[in-house]
Amino acid sequence: MALSDIIRDNINSLNYFLPELLLTGLVLLMIIADLLLKKERSPWMSIIALIGSGVVLFAIINQYELGSRSIFNNMLAVDEFSIFFKLLFLATTILVIFLSIASVELSGRSVGEYFTLLMILTLGLFLMASATHMITIFIAIELVSIISFALVTYLKTRRRSSEAGLKYAIYGAFSSGLMLYGISILYGLTGTLNIYEIGEVLAGRDTNSLALLISVLLIMAGFGYKIASVPFHFWSPDVYEGAPTPITAFLSIGPKAAGFAVIIRFFNVALSNYDGVAEQWLALSNINWPQIIAVIAAATMTLGNLVAIAQDNVKRLLAYSSIAHAGYALLGVVVLSSQGVYATLFYLVVYYFMNLGAFFVVIIFQDIIGSEKIDDFKGLASRAPIPAIAMGVFLFSLTGLPPTAGFIGKFYLFAALIKAGPEFYWLAIVGLLNSVVALYYYARILKAMFFDKISEGVSPEPLKISPYYVTLLAVLGIPTILVGLYWAPLANLASHSVHFLPTF
Amino acid sequence: MLSNFGSILFFLIFGAVFVCVNILLSRLLQTRNPYPVKLSVYECGELPEGNSWIQFNIRFYVIALIFLIFEVEIVFLFPWAVVFKDLGMFAFVEMLIFVGILLVGLAYVWAKGDLEWDKPEQVPSPELYRTDNVNSAVKITESVAS
Repeated sequence: MALSDIIRDNINSLNYFLPELLLTGLVLLMIIADLLLKKERSPWMSIIALIGSGVVLFAIINQYELGSRSIFNNMLAVDEFSIFFKLLFLATTILVIFLSIASVELSGRSVGEYFTLLMILTLGLFLMASATHMITIFIAIELVSIISFALVTYLKTRRRSSEAGLKYAIYGAFSSGLMLYGISILYGLTGTLNIYEIGEVLAGRDTNSLALLISVLLIMAGFGYKIASVPFHFWSPDVYEGAPTPITAFLSIGPKAAGFAVIIRFFNVALSNYDGVAEQWLALSNINWPQIIAVIAAATMTLGNLVAIAQDNVKRLLAYSSIAHAGYALLGVVVLSSQGVYATLFYLVVYYFMNLGAFFVVIIFQDIIGSEKIDDFKGLASRAPIPAIAMGVFLFSLTGLPPTAGFIGKFYLFAALIKAGPEFYWLAIVGLLNSVVALYYYARILKAMFFDKISEGVSPEPLKISPYYVTLLAVLGIPTILVGLYWAPLANLASHSVHFLPTF
Repeated sequence: MLSNFGSILFFLIFGAVFVCVNILLSRLLQTRNPYPVKLSVYECGELPEGNSWIQFNIRFYVIALIFLIFEVEIVFLFPWAVVFKDLGMFAFVEMLIFVGILLVGLAYVWAKGDLEWDKPEQVPSPELYRTDNVNSAVKITESVAS
């Protein structure tokens, strides 16, 4: 292609890149505003961030009308799939901004950098959702990782926070290195880094399957690190425990969902061929990578759930539970069908509500009673009934009990798995057994809150919950139940979003 | 015929063999007459004093990071300069935006005071280090003389 054509494509792409450009502008504006405002704790930074997010939201919705296109010379894709994820990320960011405003933990620190970093993180997530070139994927993942390190250590005077950041950074560097090595092997095998072209080359001729297997496993190290799947999960409990709780909530959804976006796009475009009649992808080359991911999914669920049983700290328990949920969401990826991808997307939205909600209740209790131990949660239901009941809803949903959203999400995942055929029945059984295990440790929190007596020395007087908290709880809790009863709109959105480039 | 990677492998092997052969040759041919002054570190630096695991001023990292940003800018400027003539105004505007974004960053670190180097209140006496150096120098000369 001539240079002028490349330039023209880049200029034409700008129109499709509007949400990201606006977000970049917002970040610059916030940096300048931070300098001009001088005051360390001015509410303006969060207001600018919220207004900016609103503008970006409109730009994203507007993208539905522009249609699917590959932009910047096939570096990024604008399609329903990426728009869906961008909406999810932006929703996460907006909610985390609200959580951060209320957080007592963050009140001692300057907020200017905090909100600016949060917006840069969102930009990185947007890029992850739309990247279609291995180098773009890598850069997007690094952008997300490096900003996450800074946000995790944001409470730098707290020892655990610094420790978490350091561990996160070391794991991040290691897994990025592995992933880059895998990408280089893939480049050596196919001679291209564009995932469409990788798919074409792999469909066109036989490749050395051992080398391909090694490269896919190495690349999976980078992706698995982002979604915290076994065996790349070691960072997550320490990081979730040490980070400021709003950031923990963000990390358990934003980068995780982005990791799924990258995994689905990479495996379904680069390593499989779409069969339009059967609405099914066929794995390319002679390695059976769906079974590899199936093993990873089974290990992730089982380990996450079993280790969660032994936890005393609610934040740590939720960290392990979020590892387990990454395993559940992977069930939709292994089956390689539209139905599977659709189930995963649905589950991620449901997970957004119930997981953010559970973390939010932890934030509330942590701010008031100053502890996140299960033992200190004893009798909280009588002292603060509204957050306790909300916690019940979120935990039932996380377990997957009807009539909550979590049940519908899991139902779709298992349905896709059963439909895919007998080779995945074992995985469905593992998943079901895991749900039983999950019920046990979620019930421990509920038992402490509802049935245990208040510990001696703690005054039984009711806790004051501000209306702001109650509103936020309602914003998260009502959809958790509502989607469990009437899920058609969300199901429509998810099934509409399975379409990604190349268009089929 | 060698493929592309074959010639790289050849280059690697040749490089390794070349170094080994030369070291081996010089070892066989040299005359050896070591004495302490000859074995001492000279021209390549100083004798190490104490452990190298000392506390580093954290400021070095901040400065290094800021340096890195502008290093990357230069890396981008080179290919830009090569194609500048073909692209004309478009490239100029693009680079202005890029440099502008970096300038915002520079203004930020400047205003936040990260470019300032805070000096420690009490500077340790330089005498302390000098006597140490003199002592070790004396030790070497003594050992040479004996």
